[in-house]
Amino acid sequence: MENRRRILVVDDEGPIRRVIEMKLKNRGYDVLTATNGLDGLEIIHTEKPDVVITDIMMPKMDGKSLCEQTNSLKQQRPFLTIVMTCRISPEERSWIARMKNTVLMEKPFSPSKLLEEVEAYFRR
Amino acid sequence: MRSKRIYVALATLLLLGVAMIAHVVLRQEQRKLSQELVDQGTNLVSLLALQPVQDLSGEKANFFLRTLAEYVSPSGLVYCFVHDATGVRIASLGAPDLVSKIPLEIQTVSLYSTELKTQKFPLDGSGQTIYEFAKPILESGGKSGTVRLGFRLPTPSFFSAERVRLMGTVAFFGFAMACFVYYGIVFALRRLNSVSRSLKNEWMEAPSTQKGPERAAGIDQILREFEQGLSVLRGRMKELEKSKLDLETQYGVTSFEKNQLRNILNSMRTGVIITDHQENILHINVYMLRLLDRKREEMIDHPLPEVVAQEKLPALVCHPDMEAQGGKGNAGEVNFPETSPGHVFQVSSTGLQDGEGAVVGRMIMVEDVTNERMAEKAKQEFLAHVTHELFTPLTTIRSYNEMLMVGEVTDTETQKEFYNTILEETERLQRLIQNLLSISKIEMGALTLDKSLVKCEWLVRDCIAAVEGGARKKCITIDTHLPDNLPSLVGDKELLKIALINLLGNAVKYTPEHGKITLSLTAMDNLAVFEVRDTGYGISGEDLPHIFEKFYRSKDPRIAAITGSGLGLGITSEIVHLHGGEIEVQSEPGEGTQFSLRIPREEYYLGKP
Repeated sequence: MENRRRILVVDDEGPIRRVIEMKLKNRGYDVLTATNGLDGLEIIHTEKPDVVITDIMMPKMDGKSLCEQTNSLKQQRPFLTIVMTCRISPEERSWIARMKNTVLMEKPFSPSKLLEEVEAYFRR
Repeated sequence: MRSKRIYVALATLLLLGVAMIAHVVLRQEQRKLSQELVDQGTNLVSLLALQPVQDLSGEKANFFLRTLAEYVSPSGLVYCFVHDATGVRIASLGAPDLVSKIPLEIQTVSLYSTELKTQKFPLDGSGQTIYEFAKPILESGGKSGTVRLGFRLPTPSFFSAERVRLMGTVAFFGFAMACFVYYGIVFALRRLNSVSRSLKNEWMEAPSTQKGPERAAGIDQILREFEQGLSVLRGRMKELEKSKLDLETQYGVTSFEKNQLRNILNSMRTGVIITDHQENILHINVYMLRLLDRKREEMIDHPLPEVVAQEKLPALVCHPDMEAQGGKGNAGEVNFPETSPGHVFQVSSTGLQDGEGAVVGRMIMVEDVTNERMAEKAKQEFLAHVTHELFTPLTTIRSYNEMLMVGEVTDTETQKEFYNTILEETERLQRLIQNLLSISKIEMGALTLDKSLVKCEWLVRDCIAAVEGGARKKCITIDTHLPDNLPSLVGDKELLKIALINLLGNAVKYTPEHGKITLSLTAMDNLAVFEVRDTGYGISGEDLPHIFEKFYRSKDPRIAAITGSGLGLGITSEIVHLHGGEIEVQSEPGEGTQFSLRIPREEYYLGKP
């Protein structure tokens, strides 16, 4: 399938990557994974995913930097970024408002909810 | 009375002096007159004796005697007799009764003398002294007659016209001098008197009893007043000396205290500026000078806004409202990048008041709050970190659970894997919570040991079991070197487990795949020594001194990539110390790390609490 939707999961925690990957693959999505923001950034440039799901706290490059550095790319090729965070603070809300096409998802998350969020984006 | 006597004595002395002077003057005068008389008589008699005796008798004699009487008599000539060779008087001038008054022996001596003869005798009845000069007249080798002249010695007069004039002049000058001296002395005395009186009035407690118009007091009185004044002055001098000494002591104490205060201010690790109400700098301490990189003399007495850089002014200067009542206010933060780069300073200002509550200035304090800010930041980072650490296993547990529950995972192998992961994550969460509880207990000083007999066999087994799963995933082998007879020790089993699991957990985390971990236990006399050795990344020399600090995390990217709370080693070290033991670390970057725990083996008696 050439036109399968591509989703990038960036998280340093193996079990979390594993569960998201499984959930999305079960729905027929193409899933790419990265263990830190820097690797994620490279994959975004090379593989051009339709959705990026990223953790905030990661080694090498954190999720926030990843979002900020990819924000300008969304003008030419829009994609959804889902940022997973432990506590959604007012600062994070105002930060997210400045990012294009970006949503916050609170940890611990439900894989079904995450899937709903992704599918809702693709239905748009 | 006394002064009257002095006057009388002075007058007597004066009179005596005058009498003595008059006496001496008269004697001198008389001597001079008699000398003149002798000269005149000698000359005249010698002159007359040169004449032939015939010329002095008869008609010629009368003419000669008249001339003599006319010119010589007024100057004292009393008589003139001319005798012939036989002694008969052939011519005479003078009173007829004179001859009888001249003593006979005088005439005899004169008539029989062959040379000039001078004799002195008192004239009978008149009280006058007569000088007689006689000289023989010598003619053709023989004596032809004798000339006799009698002169009266004139009585010298003290009050001659010349002398009276001289004395008058002297008396005038004397009088003038006396007047001058007198008024000079009186004037000087009056001055002295007034000085002494003012001295008395100035210094003596009781005012002078002599009131009224000033008058020239006697020297006596003045001297007495001077003495009194002097003694009062001496007293005052002593008092002044004493009070000067007191003042010097007070000054010494005050300046000592001032120096102490200045030293205290200068030794403070806080910048202090004290200003007056017009913002002029009265004091600035060494720390502040160092921060501003200025010299004291550039700052003291200068207005603060003039000597402080523009960008620091708002923080240091402008906040008069909060100090108006002598209150304290925090004025904000300021940086000194030139002298103290990277440090943050908190400025606070306190109004200074005098005794009546008026604002006389303010004290500005500049405190280095870098550590506080860093601690705050570290705390926030720690909180974020812990939240992440807690939520990560929770997230895994929840999502895995949901996957299992909704039937998303169908094959049994994956189901088993999911259950295992849930279990591991639960244990991870449990360890983290235990560590957090331990650290909060350590923070509060409330971590205490619940001592009991700990069998090392069980301890080792439990600890290995806790990390086995993680090790297996990374294909790390765990070897145990245990003695045949495993020792027991007295301690807190749960805490010792936490300590060992932290070391083993770190070994698993920071050892790359296919590495090896060795746990060995050695029983010494009084010690149980646990050693955890790994073939991991090792600890750099930079990190080594800090690994037991709370929240410390290595900057090494390989280590930073692995999540951790930065709590484990701090807690382990605390637990070991609570057991009276020691922890040691040896590490070679790239080779591995070895931790040694030496726990004292206490004897355990049953029944011991």
